Amino acid sequence: MKIKNGFVLRTVCGENVIVGEGLDAINFGRMLSLNETAVWLWKQAQEQSDFTAQSLSEALCQEYDVTPEQALQDVTETIQNWKQLGVME
Amino acid sequence: MNKVYYIVAEHLFCVEAQESVLGLLGNYEPFRTEQSKDALFSLTVTDGGPIRYVEELNQDEEGQDIVCGHTGLGEPVFEFRFGGKTAGWLVCSAGYREGTLYLSGFQTKAAVDNALMIQFAMASATLDTALFHAAAVSLDGRGYMFLGKSGTGKSTHARLWLQNIQGAELMNDDNPAVRVFKDGTAVVYGTPWSGKTPCYRNICAPIGGIVLLSQAPYNRITRLTGIGAYAAVVPSISGKRWDSRIADGLHETENALASNVPVWHLDCLPDADAAHLCKDTIAL
Repeated sequence: MKIKNGFVLRTVCGENVIVGEGLDAINFGRMLSLNETAVWLWKQAQEQSDFTAQSLSEALCQEYDVTPEQALQDVTETIQNWKQLGVME
Repeated sequence: MNKVYYIVAEHLFCVEAQESVLGLLGNYEPFRTEQSKDALFSLTVTDGGPIRYVEELNQDEEGQDIVCGHTGLGEPVFEFRFGGKTAGWLVCSAGYREGTLYLSGFQTKAAVDNALMIQFAMASATLDTALFHAAAVSLDGRGYMFLGKSGTGKSTHARLWLQNIQGAELMNDDNPAVRVFKDGTAVVYGTPWSGKTPCYRNICAPIGGIVLLSQAPYNRITRLTGIGAYAAVVPSISGKRWDSRIADGLHETENALASNVPVWHLDCLPDADAAHLCKDTIAL
């Protein structure tokens, strides 16, 4: 899986949001607010480029003090949300 | 060819064209200057075209198309069409500092206006400046901006202020410019571009408030903050956001506006009560 081209992480009035700015995302027409963990996952997903729920949750376990089960559940939920919103493929 | 210099929102630019073209630019006269040093950008107007380019995006608004693309060398190109017929092609250098407008001979004035608005918006985007699609009025030394989708009634609401609020004046009816300075002060400027209303005033005022308008069967005003304020402002600013330099620059300006300027959402009827409610809430 990968994050679609054209989506950018911005800091708006101290909050983290995903906005569509690239040609492929120009008609996104909304902003997606991310909490601290989601921001970290977004950056990790961009870094890995082609990622899986497994690869992201492994990375999450190394960074944060969470069990592998909890990490996988959090990652799966986040990915589900991003898919529904159309920011990844 | 003759060269003429103008200052809009404290940005200097140069237009080089035949007298027959310069003679069409009456709306720029209030912005004319004798200064000629360190222009932000220059536009050369000539006959020519068609220009071959790869299309990136076609922005269609009210029967007017602006097609964005690039040449084989990667130079940004903008084609202006009115009712499907091309008026001209603007070819820019990287950074939008140099532009050449090739005229087809059809709708010359509109092509020059479009080319200058685009170059102004692109070249100034990285300098804490944004060219808005909005109406702006002044009252007691402050500027108030009305935003909204085409057809929402920005001009109508501005007119209701002029008709019903003593001392209110029109600054610009369609394309005011905004600058945010280092200390957070935001200032709105009149420009040579004002849509269908000939209001080309070389004036400015610190911004007292920005109001996003929606049509409704009642009048109600609410304050927007944070992401809500940012989301209200962004769609009203011209820019090529898929150019990340421009997107980064506009984001800085938009974030500063959302943080430092009161932003409101006005659900309104096109009536005097809407203007009074708005003014009584936002103008201190």
